[in-house]
Amino acid sequence: MNKQKYWLPVLGIFVALIGCITINTPIKAADTIHENYVQKIKAKKELVMGTSPDFPPYEFVKNIHGKSTVVGLDVEVGQEIASDLGVKLVVERMDFDSLLVALETGKVDMVISGMNNTPQRAKSVSFSKNYYQSGQDLLIRQADIHRYHNYRSLSNRTIGAQTGSIQYSLVKQQAKKAKLKGMDKDNDLILALQTHKIDALAVDTATAKAFIQNTNGLIRIPSGFKTSSAGSAVAFPKGANSLVQVANQSITKIRKNDLINKVYLPKVSKYMTNHKSKKDRQKANSMWAYKDFFLAGIGYTLMISALSVCLGLLLGIFLSLMRLSKNSWAKKIAGAYIEFVRGTPLMVQLLFIYFGLGIVVNIPALLSGIIAVSLNSAAYVAEVIRSGINSINVGQKEAARSLGMSRQLTMRYVIFPQAIQNIWPALGNEFISLIKESSIVSVIGVKDLIYQSRLVQADTYRGVMPLVITMILYFIITFSLSRSMKYFERKMGHSND
Amino acid sequence: MINQQTPLLSTEKLTKTFGQNIILNQIDAQIYQGQVICLIGPSGAGKSTFLRCLNLLDKPTSGSVFFKEQDLTTLSDKQLDDLRQKMGMVFQQFNLFPNMTVLDNLTLAPLKVKQLSEPQMIAKAQSLLHQVGLSAKKEAFPANLSGGQQQRVAIARALMMDPQVLLFDEPTSALDPEMVGEVLKVMQDLAQKGMTMIVVTHEMGFARNVADQIWFMAKGKIQEMTPPEQFFQQPQTVRAQEFLTKILAS
Repeated sequence: MNKQKYWLPVLGIFVALIGCITINTPIKAADTIHENYVQKIKAKKELVMGTSPDFPPYEFVKNIHGKSTVVGLDVEVGQEIASDLGVKLVVERMDFDSLLVALETGKVDMVISGMNNTPQRAKSVSFSKNYYQSGQDLLIRQADIHRYHNYRSLSNRTIGAQTGSIQYSLVKQQAKKAKLKGMDKDNDLILALQTHKIDALAVDTATAKAFIQNTNGLIRIPSGFKTSSAGSAVAFPKGANSLVQVANQSITKIRKNDLINKVYLPKVSKYMTNHKSKKDRQKANSMWAYKDFFLAGIGYTLMISALSVCLGLLLGIFLSLMRLSKNSWAKKIAGAYIEFVRGTPLMVQLLFIYFGLGIVVNIPALLSGIIAVSLNSAAYVAEVIRSGINSINVGQKEAARSLGMSRQLTMRYVIFPQAIQNIWPALGNEFISLIKESSIVSVIGVKDLIYQSRLVQADTYRGVMPLVITMILYFIITFSLSRSMKYFERKMGHSND
Repeated sequence: MINQQTPLLSTEKLTKTFGQNIILNQIDAQIYQGQVICLIGPSGAGKSTFLRCLNLLDKPTSGSVFFKEQDLTTLSDKQLDDLRQKMGMVFQQFNLFPNMTVLDNLTLAPLKVKQLSEPQMIAKAQSLLHQVGLSAKKEAFPANLSGGQQQRVAIARALMMDPQVLLFDEPTSALDPEMVGEVLKVMQDLAQKGMTMIVVTHEMGFARNVADQIWFMAKGKIQEMTPPEQFFQQPQTVRAQEFLTKILAS
């Protein structure tokens, strides 16, 4: 078979993508001139708030009556703004890093997530004034209490910080002698601190207080960072001045009455400190209490995997047939698609479908996840099938064609059944890696197994146990799949003994 | 000799090249209803390619192939599929479908292509298997059959479509010597029943006894078209003489 030139169609896809994005930018710009954000929100009767609920006491997840609910003082602030607008507050959970993209692409109306107003961020969003001002602290292990006093005593030690947070840039800019370790989740960072992966953790004072209340063996020291006006503010889409105005009024009210210290924090800390004795806390934190979380996670993971396996298989068959077809255009398009998808990370594809296409059509997170995983899997499945089809002796095709069978009949009844039999093990591997890779959808807030384990981690302040359970659950799923694939392999194999 | 106005199968200036290599060089040939042609010659002479061009498994580079009055090289894919039903082919490597039983190998094409009734086709398959002496093997898979048995199944499979001509591409070359006889016997029976056959073979005994005509091929041309007695006793071309000397010496 001749080697195809793929670069041309690949280039075509790039150009199309770029075109797609640049064409849409002016529409967005036009939107900001005739700004009517407040009317829009009043019209849809709900205010969607994006937040990354792993940041107590600002926002975290609590198992309330068996339902995982986002609570925290940011939610209280959001509630206040929503009430002032006379609409309902809807909380959307996602990764901290995804928040601003979600705001820019209209997935959420505002972001309240302990986010500090920095000049860099202010370039792409409009901030309200600060609703809360908090100092910067370092968390260290109790045993190190006499070794470290602030960031200066941590030369050549590792300081952890949440990626994309203000603490991350503070450590980077000021603690130049220390090593910096960034992670997505504060819970992972706490775990890293406990297991000596890092020596200190840079967090704000309110968070530090929350963690030492709930984690044994950690203490809080002042960070010693020079900070300008690191306060938490509400982020709105760039140019949404009417909304900023409304929010500022609410915030003025909040600050005037000191609602945060007098009302929100006491209310929220009840969620954090309601387990008085250690024993009680252990009981409440036993993983069994969170079985509903894990069950929901299994449900989502299985649903995403099953749908993606089916869609990926169908599309993969279609692509492989296109690639083997006589039509040179079909061949090139399929080839380019396969090369492109296999040459880019699934995570980026997922973010592109959720956020990138979000500019044109708003696809919900779950559907985006299924689409991204299916489209990705299809490319790999197509290659597996193509190799299977090519592995069939050309004599099989000739025998079928000499009997008067058409190309289609030959493919369907002679080549394909044999190819499937040959590639069954490879296909099984592909399905298993699909199940594992589907965990990436948690990034955009799909409530799969990984996402749920994060919630349990955040809720119980236990790092390892939820991971162990998640691992076991994934293994059970993949192991049963590989067993049943083997069963069918044996069943098909009978004919060929 | 049966001799009708129109040949069943014929070629005009049939040419096939692979890159610089000329495999078939402007071949004109006619096969009439009921004839058995044995195509012999040194390896690389183009015998198999000629055979495969007759049902367009290989596409001729130029020239024409006629089935009765129809030029195959001008047909659409669909028309060609229909026409191939009338031209059965038996391969050196049998090419049975390994994932199907003998019975399914036989019934697949008639059921899917002609969409005939299944009980009727099963009955037909059983009678053809009886004809090639394999009634007992209908539920077996190809891997469990000997080479000779597989080739007989392959012949029965080709007969299922009621072809008007059968093309044999070295049907016994891949067989152990003790199995050659059983396959040749089936072919001889077919010839006696009047089946039109074109056989690429190295079995000189079969060619001498069964063929109506020997076509001797060398260098992309059919060098001689003569009855077997004449060919084996008095080959006309030097090439054929050399070829026969080598064959008979070995």
